[in-house]
Amino acid sequence: MRHGPCEGRPVPFLQRSDLCLVVCGSLLSCADRPREVAPAPGPQQGATTVHEPEKLVSVESAHLDSLGKPVRVRCATCHAIRDAGVFPESTDGLREFHAGLVVKHGPLSCGSCHVLLSGGEPTLHLSDGTHLMTQDTMRLCAQCHGPKFRDYSHGTHGGMTGYWDLSKGSRTRNHCVDCHDPHSPAFAPSRPVLPPRDRFLPSAHERSERSHG
Amino acid sequence: MDKTKRRTLKVLGGTLGATAFAYALEPLTAWTKEQSLDEFLQRHYKELSKSELEAVLRRIEQKTRETYGVDVHVTDLHPQEGVEFGYALNLSVCIGCRKCAEACHKENNHDRATNNSYIRVLEMDQGTFDLEKGTTTYDHAVPAPGKYYLPVQCQQCDNAPCVKVCPVQATWKERDGIVVVDYNWCIGCRYCEAACPYHARRFNWQKPQVPAAELNPDQGYLSNRVRPQGVVEKCTFCLHRTRAGRLPACLEACPTGARVFGNLLDPDSEIRWVLANKRVFVLKEELGTRPRFFYFFDT
Amino acid sequence: MSLLQPGELNLSYPRFALRLVRRAFLGGVRFYATMTVLTCVFLVGVNAWAHQLRSGMVVTHMTDHVSWGLYIANFTFSVGLAAGAVMMVIPAYLYEDEEMHDVVLVGELLAIAAIVACIGFIVVDMGRPDRMWHVIPGVGRFNWPISMLTWDVIVLNGYLILNLHIVGYLTYMKYLGVRPRRVFYLPFVFLSIGWAISIHSVTAFLYSGLGGRPFWNSALLAPRFIASAFITGPAFVIMLLYAIKRFAPHFRFTDEPMQLLASILRVTILVNLFMFGSEAFTLFYSGGSHAASGRYLFLGLDGRHGLVPWIWTAVGLNLASAVLIHSHPSRTNPRVLLAACACAFAGVWIEKGMGLIVPGFVPSTLHELVEYAPSLVEWRVSAGVWAFAAMVLIALLRMVLPVLSGELCEARPSLRSVPPASSRRESEVS
Repeated sequence: MRHGPCEGRPVPFLQRSDLCLVVCGSLLSCADRPREVAPAPGPQQGATTVHEPEKLVSVESAHLDSLGKPVRVRCATCHAIRDAGVFPESTDGLREFHAGLVVKHGPLSCGSCHVLLSGGEPTLHLSDGTHLMTQDTMRLCAQCHGPKFRDYSHGTHGGMTGYWDLSKGSRTRNHCVDCHDPHSPAFAPSRPVLPPRDRFLPSAHERSERSHG
Repeated sequence: MDKTKRRTLKVLGGTLGATAFAYALEPLTAWTKEQSLDEFLQRHYKELSKSELEAVLRRIEQKTRETYGVDVHVTDLHPQEGVEFGYALNLSVCIGCRKCAEACHKENNHDRATNNSYIRVLEMDQGTFDLEKGTTTYDHAVPAPGKYYLPVQCQQCDNAPCVKVCPVQATWKERDGIVVVDYNWCIGCRYCEAACPYHARRFNWQKPQVPAAELNPDQGYLSNRVRPQGVVEKCTFCLHRTRAGRLPACLEACPTGARVFGNLLDPDSEIRWVLANKRVFVLKEELGTRPRFFYFFDT
Repeated sequence: MSLLQPGELNLSYPRFALRLVRRAFLGGVRFYATMTVLTCVFLVGVNAWAHQLRSGMVVTHMTDHVSWGLYIANFTFSVGLAAGAVMMVIPAYLYEDEEMHDVVLVGELLAIAAIVACIGFIVVDMGRPDRMWHVIPGVGRFNWPISMLTWDVIVLNGYLILNLHIVGYLTYMKYLGVRPRRVFYLPFVFLSIGWAISIHSVTAFLYSGLGGRPFWNSALLAPRFIASAFITGPAFVIMLLYAIKRFAPHFRFTDEPMQLLASILRVTILVNLFMFGSEAFTLFYSGGSHAASGRYLFLGLDGRHGLVPWIWTAVGLNLASAVLIHSHPSRTNPRVLLAACACAFAGVWIEKGMGLIVPGFVPSTLHELVEYAPSLVEWRVSAGVWAFAAMVLIALLRMVLPVLSGELCEARPSLRSVPPASSRRESEVS
């Protein structure tokens, strides 16, 4: 075999080390930078507050404000100064601010939850007769809807906003009454938002046409 | 044919060919203008030094300012010690309103025209778990009688097929359990999209179009910054929010509280309570992907 | 190599290659006309691709639901073509069939052109071809050995180099008029046989390794790929040999290799049909939602049947090719043989292309039914890639065939010109 022009000649050390540098350099450049890690969550500082819906202490009037929203009237406006009288037999007997109220809550009637007191804030009562302020409504709900209240207390029902990490910030929870009207608590159906609009994805309309036609 | 004639013809043919070639490539002139050398030579996220990464973040902010006229803040939040994220979804409570998908759409600067979102909600017939009977394009009041709703997004699998198949390691699992994509490293081969069993990945078929006024300025390098054209993206559990301790956008938007998010390593977290007390299951368990996204029905 | 003068070693091979390249681009009116047409098609493809790169892949009809389409279908098919083209190596070298040797080179040239097509189809399918360097081992981040795609990068490029070496070496030796030394090509030839199997198996594993896609998630996929590769390769080579016979009659091939290839086809077409049938049986007999893609492919699903005409055309073509090639006239009448080859080739193109890639995505993993039909841009780009590969093939053939026929050889007296037969044997022994 023929020898190449460089073979047999001593290769200067510098050249070889240059090569090493290039190799090491390219290997180093591929090395991952050590990943930084943020500190673990610290002790809890943030609070969990439950939102207080207006519905607990006020009622819609027939008047609209400048934004077109019904003006709300606090229950105490009337009830602090006058007797409520007796509970009517049915919702047809409701008058003034309560007229037209729909009650669809199983077999419950007004007295199941409300207490008639003369003067003072309107009040609720638990099944054992203990009086409750309206702000404590959730305790009342909980006495029948135990599993739901359990789920709620563990953050798996009712939703929240804010921080999962309470060492960094606070969290706001919804109140039962935010989503469920206690008088007819079923969640009202609504139109879904943001329909998928992928290219070539048949719409609901096209689909039903195809399966029927 | 004599030689000069032949040569003339050859030169003519060559010139014509070269001109035609240049003309054919003409659309690329606009494309090359958008590319910068810095971006072209940028190394993989994991290889960038602190200062290099800083420069990259500022460059992205600068570019967004030039394109949209909006000041955005691009961060690179690190995974937290002692934190691994998990997500659970209560199918008994979900009403299929797609508010989560909408929140994702806005939070993550998705393309407006396509209504893109990392979440797809399937309307399912009660009594079946056959996805084939589900539909995503339902358009009537929800919840509809006889139906339940199954929102699906990235399951942040521990044994993620998408991570396995990526030829350039452009996608990987972070130590807090989130599978991320380096949008500046992805080559756009879409193998991960073929590999994902949950339809969790999206490809930027074109540059996402978001009106400047609607741009979410709180952006993460690995999450919701405006993505380049031709790369794959996915749900990151909103890591620009969750690594700062905040809840993901989809959870905050959920009107019924069907969604539960938290730290799997914290025994007092809500997610741990769900895992301990509900009969949870994962989607397509038989594939062995080991998701960190759990579903359950109320008992 | 001791037969070269000192100082010439480094230059003579490039000089030889350059001479061949120059030679490849000299030709008659018909040659220039063909190349002009192919160049035009190629340029249309280049233009469409440039357009796709600028506007984004939204100009294709691929979606997040069907994220691979015509490009990957053609890629899969061309890998098969490349693998199958080397099929002829087996009879030539394993069974020492001397008649086959020249034909083998034609097959290897076809393999090179097919690999060029593969690489082309991968590049046009990439969302960011500018980031190609991320795939280069050592420079980018190569997810080897976990990602099957990195295996594909290795085996495809390795196969290209392997074939370039074998063809280059054998042609060069012929050019020099020296008997090739076995040690310089035979190991590579055997390696290329294994490698041919591997390129197609790895391509099949690309799909069959995805648990979320039941249509692909079948152990039979790799064997099916190999069987169908051994249809397309020989079928194309038969057609190519006839074309050479017709357009360049001075290159003489005997009929024997062609008959041998036809015999191979007789087996592989049946094997492929059998595997196709077993796959269909498993799908339909067990049923369930895993068969949804199969139902969509063969019968249509939920009122959508975009692929039904394609796949039944493929079935028809495959059956027709089986009947034709087993009919007696295929042994005597070249037209019948050619028709059988054309049918088999087209049938596999559909079956393994659109018929395999697209149903993997329909219905999607969440069982959404989004159909796919290639856009005009995709057709243009694909035509461009094929045209480029065809140009490569024609150029390679025009480079290599004149050497094989002895028309072109190293004529300088300083090197040994065609040595007498006795001395050739001597060099073989030494």
